[in-house]
Amino acid sequence: MSAGLEARLHGILDQRYHHRHPFNVRLHGGACTPAEVRRWIRNRYYYQTRIPLKDGLILTKSEDRDFRRGWIRRIHDHDGDDARAGGLELWLRLAEAAGLERAEVASLRNVLPGVRRACDAYVEFVASHDLLASVASSLTELSAGAFLGERAEAFRKHYRWIEEAGLAYFLSRTTQAPLDAQEGLAFVLEHAQKPEDQERCAAALLRKCEILWALLDGVEWGGRAPKLSPAVQLRTEGDEALAVLPERAVRVSASGRAILAACDGARDVEAVAAGLRAAHPADERLERDVYDFVERMESLGVLVLA
Amino acid sequence: MTEAPRLWNLVAELTYRCPLRCPYCSNPLALRDFPEQLSADDWARVFREAAALGAVHVGLTGGEPTTRRDLREIVRAAGDAGLYTHLVTAGLPIDEAGLVALCDAGLRSVQLSVQDAEAAASDAIAGTACFDRKLGFARAVRARGLPLTLNVVLHRRNLARTRELIALARALDADRLELANTQYQGWALANRAALLPAREQLDAAAGVVAEERAKAARPEILFVLPDYFRERPKPCMGGWGRTHLVVTPDGRALPCHGAGELPLEFWNVRERSLAACWRDAPGMNAYRGDAWLPEPCRSCPEKTRDFGGCRCQAFALTGDAALTDPACALAPHHALVADARSAPPEEAWRYRVV
Repeated sequence: MSAGLEARLHGILDQRYHHRHPFNVRLHGGACTPAEVRRWIRNRYYYQTRIPLKDGLILTKSEDRDFRRGWIRRIHDHDGDDARAGGLELWLRLAEAAGLERAEVASLRNVLPGVRRACDAYVEFVASHDLLASVASSLTELSAGAFLGERAEAFRKHYRWIEEAGLAYFLSRTTQAPLDAQEGLAFVLEHAQKPEDQERCAAALLRKCEILWALLDGVEWGGRAPKLSPAVQLRTEGDEALAVLPERAVRVSASGRAILAACDGARDVEAVAAGLRAAHPADERLERDVYDFVERMESLGVLVLA
Repeated sequence: MTEAPRLWNLVAELTYRCPLRCPYCSNPLALRDFPEQLSADDWARVFREAAALGAVHVGLTGGEPTTRRDLREIVRAAGDAGLYTHLVTAGLPIDEAGLVALCDAGLRSVQLSVQDAEAAASDAIAGTACFDRKLGFARAVRARGLPLTLNVVLHRRNLARTRELIALARALDADRLELANTQYQGWALANRAALLPAREQLDAAAGVVAEERAKAARPEILFVLPDYFRERPKPCMGGWGRTHLVVTPDGRALPCHGAGELPLEFWNVRERSLAACWRDAPGMNAYRGDAWLPEPCRSCPEKTRDFGGCRCQAFALTGDAALTDPACALAPHHALVADARSAPPEEAWRYRVV
């Protein structure tokens, strides 16, 4: 019965883990531009920051001292301690090696909205599910070890402009992830005896795969170039504007107008925000506001993203 | 002079002529005389005056607006006035060449009606063979790059094909699909026993819509449970005289398609400015705002959302337009709606005649 579950979990990973995502295929295949690699590194850092929060939530769900002793190691692995740099620090070193500014990445101000939603959904999933389902959702680690080994190789081969020292995160996880995964898997196989519990574990892992997939969708979104839909009639009304479409008119504020004006179909979403950043150096929320605005205008049909 | 809200949307009923005979038509039941139609010049003035009142949209509708030979001029005048020109059509008698001419005149978007998801059933409701021609017109609209809304009026004979209707909208690359449950006014009220669905049909359709929405973002699907089954009235036209103004083929300025049937004084754009018709006509002010509301609406927290419901429905069912819409479960006359729901369905309907 447990063997059946284990095979089923591996089947889910084979089909739905993000190694099959088109962005990842391009990343590992060497097809990404430096801007795309940096976008991925910057955004994926938000995921790294959610991991210790998620593991903290899992700790609160267990009454078993031995379980907690084992699981707390994951938080140390990510946060580090006096003796060693943790995963978060290693990721920031990767960012620096790729030419990004540590402070900018650590500020999280440039995280794309789809990425933010996906990562927050993972923390929310663990917050709202029991210990078994939460541990099952971590079992993407079963695939992570080999996957990250591949990733380090791909970076060495295709993205030589990133120094070797920057790859320490991937290499550290190639040993940590399999250990974490074996612990998690043993727990799930021991505790998911009833068919309904096995169902819940499979569903939790599938949900986690969807979240990782959505994260990469969110990264890709940042590289798309918005422009005004040809269906829109843009009217100025004082400082504001009205974007008129079939059956709806969308009111656009003065700052929204400035964003729409920058959406010329040539610049991608990140470049639109970066262009406006120069004019508003003190606005801490600028990128978030621009991304949220572009996303909302896309959903209303005002902007189309090429 | 009273303060009137900003006009947002002008509904221009260009004609009552229509090659279709749908038994739920929102046009008046009794068109005793074929009313005189406003000329293209009259419409041009109406468009300019509407734009000056703040309007951004004009819906060119009818009847069937493409029966007018001067439609191209009318479209150009609406565009020149700065309005977003939206054609509401059955897809005939207009053809592709006619569409190209309208695009050149500044047409921006199209709403096309179909009556069902396949030819025989659709033509049976339309009362004439037209389904294939409609599909050809839809493709021509998308080929020109215009936004396309597909509109289907839902009732007991086509609700079961909700999924096929969504598939049709996808196949035609429509931007929006309006699954518009029949509103029981005019011809639809006369044919209510043949059109009113069973609750199970509506629940099943709502489930299909939810499934299909989850499958793909396109088309945007509008589906609202009809007021007869919601226990609350619809916020008709977004409130009486609040955002929309309908001008009929003979020039009457009304708050909605059906209000001409009410015993109220509305004004005519041939005799007065559109601003006066919108702002000062006694009929337009009869149910503006909420000071006129009867109980139980007056003390109801939902009055800001539904405005007491539909005045035409209150009038058609109770004889008094100032009563709470009987669709509301809190209305004194709610039994008129509840009884209709449980009445046995009829098979035959009466086609619209002009």
